[in-house]
Amino acid sequence: MFTPPLDALLMLMVATPAVGWVAYKKGYRKVPGIYASASLLVAAYFLYGLYKEVEVAENGIVTRAFDIPLGACLEIDFFSVFMAFLYIIIGLFATVYSIKFMERDSGLTEYYTLMLGMIAGMTGIVFAGDFFTLFVFWELMCLTSYALVAFRKQKWEPIEAGFKYLIMSAAGSATILLAMSFLYGMTGTLNFAALADGLTAATSEGWLYITLALVIVGFGVKAAIVPFHTWLPDAHSAAPSPISAMLSGVMVQTGACALVRVLLLVFNSAQPAWQMTLAVFAVFTMFGGNLMALLQDDLKRLLAFSTIANLGYIIFGFATVSHDGLTASLFHITNHAIMKTLLFLCAGAFIRQTKTRDLRKLRGIGKIMPVTGVFFAIGTIAIAAFPPLNGFWSEMMIIAAGVRAEMIIFSTLTLANMALSVVYYFRLIRIIILEEPTKVSKRATKAPVSMLIPLLILAFLCVFIGVYPGPFIGASSKAAEALLNIEAYADAVLGGL
Amino acid sequence: MISLNYYIACAVALYIIGMYCLASKRNMIKLVMGIEILVNAAHLSFVAFSAYRSVGYIDPLGHAIVIMSIGFAGCITALALTIVTYAYKHYKTLDVRKLRRLRW
Repeated sequence: MFTPPLDALLMLMVATPAVGWVAYKKGYRKVPGIYASASLLVAAYFLYGLYKEVEVAENGIVTRAFDIPLGACLEIDFFSVFMAFLYIIIGLFATVYSIKFMERDSGLTEYYTLMLGMIAGMTGIVFAGDFFTLFVFWELMCLTSYALVAFRKQKWEPIEAGFKYLIMSAAGSATILLAMSFLYGMTGTLNFAALADGLTAATSEGWLYITLALVIVGFGVKAAIVPFHTWLPDAHSAAPSPISAMLSGVMVQTGACALVRVLLLVFNSAQPAWQMTLAVFAVFTMFGGNLMALLQDDLKRLLAFSTIANLGYIIFGFATVSHDGLTASLFHITNHAIMKTLLFLCAGAFIRQTKTRDLRKLRGIGKIMPVTGVFFAIGTIAIAAFPPLNGFWSEMMIIAAGVRAEMIIFSTLTLANMALSVVYYFRLIRIIILEEPTKVSKRATKAPVSMLIPLLILAFLCVFIGVYPGPFIGASSKAAEALLNIEAYADAVLGGL
Repeated sequence: MISLNYYIACAVALYIIGMYCLASKRNMIKLVMGIEILVNAAHLSFVAFSAYRSVGYIDPLGHAIVIMSIGFAGCITALALTIVTYAYKHYKTLDVRKLRRLRW
């Protein structure tokens, strides 16, 4: 129906409650988690098959289309495969980690169903070839993430954060829907390829810019662009740690990717306008994230603000609209997903063993939990952009791309922000690793092995990508090329008409 | 026949009312209603555009989208009301000012 990986994810997601029910009757509490991990492996296998198909396809685009230009369609190019692979891998780490982390929670079947739904939604967003399909999967991702943020409903914090997140994000989705309706009114279609032609043909400038503003605001809420970011620190710190890792590692970036794909394909004619807007928003986002992160005393809130800052870098890379900039951004998305997942999962291990997120109480926890502490230090050094770890390469590439796109002021501001961010990353390392353990930290015990395995692989990836970035930059570059190849994207569905 | 402009003006007005509702109201149920108003503004705009595409013929695409979107809006409302119920159990109030324990 829709390409094998998406089919597999949706079908296996729908089957999760049945599996969970049988497992519950038999008394096996870990089965849903193992089932969800296996489902993601199956999806990854199918995605590899799809990748092979994309590689040999004409122009590198596989389409699944029904009655173009009115019907729904999927267009899978290398960019889609690249992002989908990232979602499934990060989802796999979070799921494996959840098996142990969530063992004391109730409602595990629902948890894994929602988790698979969220990954299916994100995969669908990058596969979508028209705005309607994108919106359907967008809502799937949003709905599941609301439920996951408010998952621990016995406590006040997830409820409050979940409600705030739901209201802000639903308003953003409604804004996207209104923008969609204006696009539909102007052109009579919602297919990305047809929209690009239709919009340049005959529209009034005023409506075009109003729609552009609505699109940027709507996707910007999800992408946590700074005036619309206030849901993010609350939602990230209230959600269970594996979910924070998913939200911060991949979901927020999905918003940025969907935004840039829509802008590149649909609003091609208004490029100078949105390019500058995005660059200005990117700088605000960096400053907002970094300055607020300096003030935090809560481990997960600090990491959440650092996510906002990193989104600023990513959006700045997109705003250059050059091949270099997009490559750098996509490479940074990969690196940030790995580093931030590692940091949130380590934070989850600390929180699970100490029951607190307060940095003042968590002093010296790295000395009590040495293995997790070392992984946390690797993640922090990587995200602080120290060579030879992975964060360094992508952040330098973003700055270089900005200079080459003649946005030197913005590049300088980005560099200043990266220097600023080092302050709080080093504070984290000092507090977690170097200081003497407090009473609370001393009571902690070592993290279970099944939680350490994902951490080990992620930390290894940080070092590996740092030492040997070639193939990853190559893949990002290919994805950026696919993202910029608008004519081929349009031809793939409209060529037959 | 009424001009399309009136429908669009009405949709934009509804959108602004919805945003105003989200910004000013303190009752959680009213916030959920604000979301509904926002979504319905977009629906109205879709339906109006699909009816006015060509004379004597209604474009099915707009309608398909609206029907799907009504389903999503229903899901979001259901989830929101569930959260509101839990919030009420915790705080014994529906006033969002009372549950501002989250810092900036």
